[in-house]
Amino acid sequence: MTEAAIEKGAALAGALVVGITAVIQLKNDWAARGIDASVTKILLGLMALGCVLALLAAVNVLGARA
Amino acid sequence: MATAAAAIPHGGGHAEVAARYHDVDPVYAETRDLRLLGFVLFLLSDCILFGAFIFAYIYLRVSAPAWPPFVGGHQLPWFDTSFAAFNSIVLFGSGVTMHFALENWKHLNKRKFNMWLIATIILGIGFLLGQAHEYSVVGISWAGSTMGASFFTLTGMHGFHVFVGVCFLTTLAIQANRGVYTGSKYFGLTAGTLYWHFVDVIWVALFFLFYLW
Amino acid sequence: MHAGTTTTHDAHDVHDHIHPAPEGFIRKYVFSLDHKVIGFQYFFTGLFLLLIAGSFAELVRLQLTKPEGAIMSHNAYNEMFTMHGTAMVWMVLIPLVTGAIGNFVMPLQIGARDVAFPWLNMASFWIFPIAALILFSSMLFGGPHAGWTEYPPISLADGTAGALWCMAIFVIGISSTMTGLNFMVTIIKMRAPGMTWTRMPLFVWATFATALMNMFATVALSAATGALFIEHVFNVPFFDASRGGSPVLFEHMFWFYSHPAVYIFIIPAFGVVSEVLPVFARKPIFGYKMIAFSSMAISILAFTVWAHHMFPSGLAPWLQLPFMILTYAIGIPTGIKVFSWMATLWGGRIHYTTAMLYAMGFLITFTFGGITGVFLASVPVDLHMHGTYFVVGHFHYVVAGGAVMGFLAAIPYWYPKATGRMMSERIGQLSFWLFFIGLNGTFLPMHWLGLEGMPRRYASYIDFAKSNPDAQFWNTFETAMSFLMVASVGLLVFNVLWSIKHGKVAGINPWGARTLEWTISSPPPYYNFKKLPEVYGRPYDYDRPLPYKNTDNELDEYPEYGRVLMPIPTPAAVGA
Repeated sequence: MTEAAIEKGAALAGALVVGITAVIQLKNDWAARGIDASVTKILLGLMALGCVLALLAAVNVLGARA
Repeated sequence: MATAAAAIPHGGGHAEVAARYHDVDPVYAETRDLRLLGFVLFLLSDCILFGAFIFAYIYLRVSAPAWPPFVGGHQLPWFDTSFAAFNSIVLFGSGVTMHFALENWKHLNKRKFNMWLIATIILGIGFLLGQAHEYSVVGISWAGSTMGASFFTLTGMHGFHVFVGVCFLTTLAIQANRGVYTGSKYFGLTAGTLYWHFVDVIWVALFFLFYLW
Repeated sequence: MHAGTTTTHDAHDVHDHIHPAPEGFIRKYVFSLDHKVIGFQYFFTGLFLLLIAGSFAELVRLQLTKPEGAIMSHNAYNEMFTMHGTAMVWMVLIPLVTGAIGNFVMPLQIGARDVAFPWLNMASFWIFPIAALILFSSMLFGGPHAGWTEYPPISLADGTAGALWCMAIFVIGISSTMTGLNFMVTIIKMRAPGMTWTRMPLFVWATFATALMNMFATVALSAATGALFIEHVFNVPFFDASRGGSPVLFEHMFWFYSHPAVYIFIIPAFGVVSEVLPVFARKPIFGYKMIAFSSMAISILAFTVWAHHMFPSGLAPWLQLPFMILTYAIGIPTGIKVFSWMATLWGGRIHYTTAMLYAMGFLITFTFGGITGVFLASVPVDLHMHGTYFVVGHFHYVVAGGAVMGFLAAIPYWYPKATGRMMSERIGQLSFWLFFIGLNGTFLPMHWLGLEGMPRRYASYIDFAKSNPDAQFWNTFETAMSFLMVASVGLLVFNVLWSIKHGKVAGINPWGARTLEWTISSPPPYYNFKKLPEVYGRPYDYDRPLPYKNTDNELDEYPEYGRVLMPIPTPAAVGA
C-alpha cells in the first residue's frame, strides 16, 4: 500500500466522521439565536462543505492530476 | 486543575444550567454584546484580507499562459492532494472538537471541556506540523514563481492564524482553569471558538483553490 | 405615560455608571481613552502634517512656473508630488475627517459616553503618528517616486524607500480598519434610547457609511501594500511581469481600496454639510431619508467601480462597459444629495457664518468636481484625458473643494462645542474667501490645460509649452493663486490657536442647533451626558420642540414633545 493510499484512506474515514459530526452539531444548533450562534452555524456549514471536498479528493473525484 | 475549578459545579444538571442564564450581569451582557459584534466584524475584515490575496492568486493563475507555470523551461509540480486532504481533516476535526468543548462548557461539564479543548490544541499543532512537512516536500519556492508566491503567502498567512489560534486556545485553557470565566461570563471562550471555526473555513477555501482546482 | 420608552431606558441603565475622569497629565492628554481628547490629538497631528504635505504641494507648484522646471531636479519633483499625494490622502485627510471630526462629534451626536472600545480608539490614534514617521523617514532613503499610487513596476525601483512607503500605508491601514470597526460597533450598539436608525443625525449616517468602507476596503489596501512590500523585500513575484506577475493586479487591489478611499473622505464632508446647512438656513433638512440612504448607496456602490481608474491599463472591453455604467450610477445618489441640500437652502433664513460659507462653497466646488468626474467616467473621454491635468483638476475639486471644504466647515461649527469659545468670524470669513478664490484659481485652469493636453506628473512641460504659448502664464497664475490657500490655512491655524484664549464664550448652543451635542455644556464634561438622553424624533424639525427628554440643561423646559412650540432661536454669535 502506498503512502498516498494510506493518506487518502485516513482522509476518507476522517471526512466521514468529522463531516457527519459537523452536520449533527449544525442540526442541534439550528434553533439557537444570536450573532455568535448564527456565525457558528455558517462556519460549521462551510466546514461540513470542506469535509465533502476532502472526501471527494480522497476518492479521486476532485484534484486528480494524473 | 480540579481544585481551581471548584467554584464551578461539575457535571451540572438542567437546573444549574438554567440558573446560570437567569443570573445575568447586565453590564457584562452589554460589554459582551459590543465585543461580540466587534469580534465578528474583525473576522469579516480578516476574511477580506484573505479574499484580496485569493483574488490575486486567481488573477495570476487565470492570466498565466500555463499552470503550473514554467520556470527556467521546466513546469513546476502540482501539489500533493492526498496529504493535504488528510491534513485538512486534522484541522476540520479540531473544529468539531472545539465545538464540543464549548458545548460542554455551556453545560457545565468542566472535565469534558478540558478534554476536548486539549484535543483541539493537539490537532491544531498537528496541522501546523503537517504544514511544515508540506512546505519541506512541496518542491517550489516562495520567490521562485507566481505559484510559489501565492501558495506560500496565503498558506503562510493561514498558518500564522492557526498559530495565533493555538496560542489563543492555550491561553483560554489556562484562564478557564484558573476560574477567569464564571457563570454566564465566558465571552473569551465564545470568541476563541468563533476564531477557530473561522480559521477552519479559510482553510476550506485554500484547500479547494490550491489542491483541488 | 411613556410606558414603552421607560423600558427602553431601563434596558440602557447599565450605561449609567459614570467613570471618574483620569488624573495626571499622561492619562488625561497623552494616552487618553476619552474620544474627545483623541479627536483633538487627531486634529492637531493631522493639521501639522497638513502643513508639511501642503508645503510639498507648493514646491510642486513653484517648479511648474517655468516650462523646464524652476527650482528642483526632476527626481526631487517626483518625490515631492508622491509625498504630497500620499501624505495628504492617508496622513491628513482620512485622519482628519474620520479620526478628528468623527471621533469628537459622533459619540456626542448619538448620546453615548464614549466609543465602544476606547482602548482600541487610543491604539488607532497612536499607530497614526508612527505610520507618519515611517512614511517621512522614507525620504531619508531617496523617497518614493511613483506617485501616490506607487504602481509597480516603477515603484519597484524605489528600493528601501518603496518598502518603507508600503509599510507606512499598511500601518495606517490597520489604524483605519480599527477606527472603522470601533465606529460601526458604536453606532450599531450605543445609540441613546429611542434613537432609531432614521432618527440619527445625518453626520452619524455619514460616519457609519464611512466606517463600513474603512473596515472592508482598507483591508484590501493592506493586502496590496503587503504584497508590494513582500515583493520589495523578499523579491517575491506578485507584480513583476518578467516573472509571471501582473502590474495590473496591483492596480486592481489598490483601487479596490482607493476608490472607496475617496468616498471615505468625502462622505464625512457630506455629513458635515448636512448638519451645517439646516442650522444656518433655519429649516428642516430636505429629504432626510434620501440623504441618509444615498450615503449608504454611495458606500456600497463604491466597492463596484474601482476599475474606472484603470481604463487605459488594457482592461478588457467587456469589463470597461459595466464599470462605466456603475460609475455613472454613483452620480445618482450624489445628485440626490446635492439637490436635497439646494432644496434645504430654498426659502431658508440664511445666516452667512463661516461654517455656512464653507458649506455653500462646498456645494459649488464639489458639484463642479463631481460633474467633471462624470466626464471622466466615460471610457472614450477618459482614454484621452487620463494622463492630463484635467484629472488633477477634477480630483482637487473633489478633494480640496469637497472633503477639505467640508472639514473647514466643521471646524468653526464644532469649535465652540470643543473649546467653549467661538472662533473669530472676521478672520474665519477672510480665510474662507482666500481659500475659495485660491482653490478655483489654482485648479480651474488645470481643466483647459488638460484638455489642451498638458501631461500630469511631468517635472517639465517644454514640449507642451511650445505648442501652447499660454501654458507658462496659466501655470504661474495657478502657483500664485495656490498661495492664497496657504494664506488661508495660515489664518485658520492662527484662528484656531488664538480663539482658544480670546474667543467669545460660546455657551451651550450658540448656533441654535438641534442635535444632541448641543444639549450639553461646552466643552462637554468627561462623561458627556450626566443622564442618557431619550430621543423622540429627528433633530432637524425646526418648527417643532426639541425631541429629547432627560437632557440636563435649560432645554428641559420643553419636555412634552408635541405640545409646546419651541421658539426658533437665532445664532447668537453672528455679527450679521
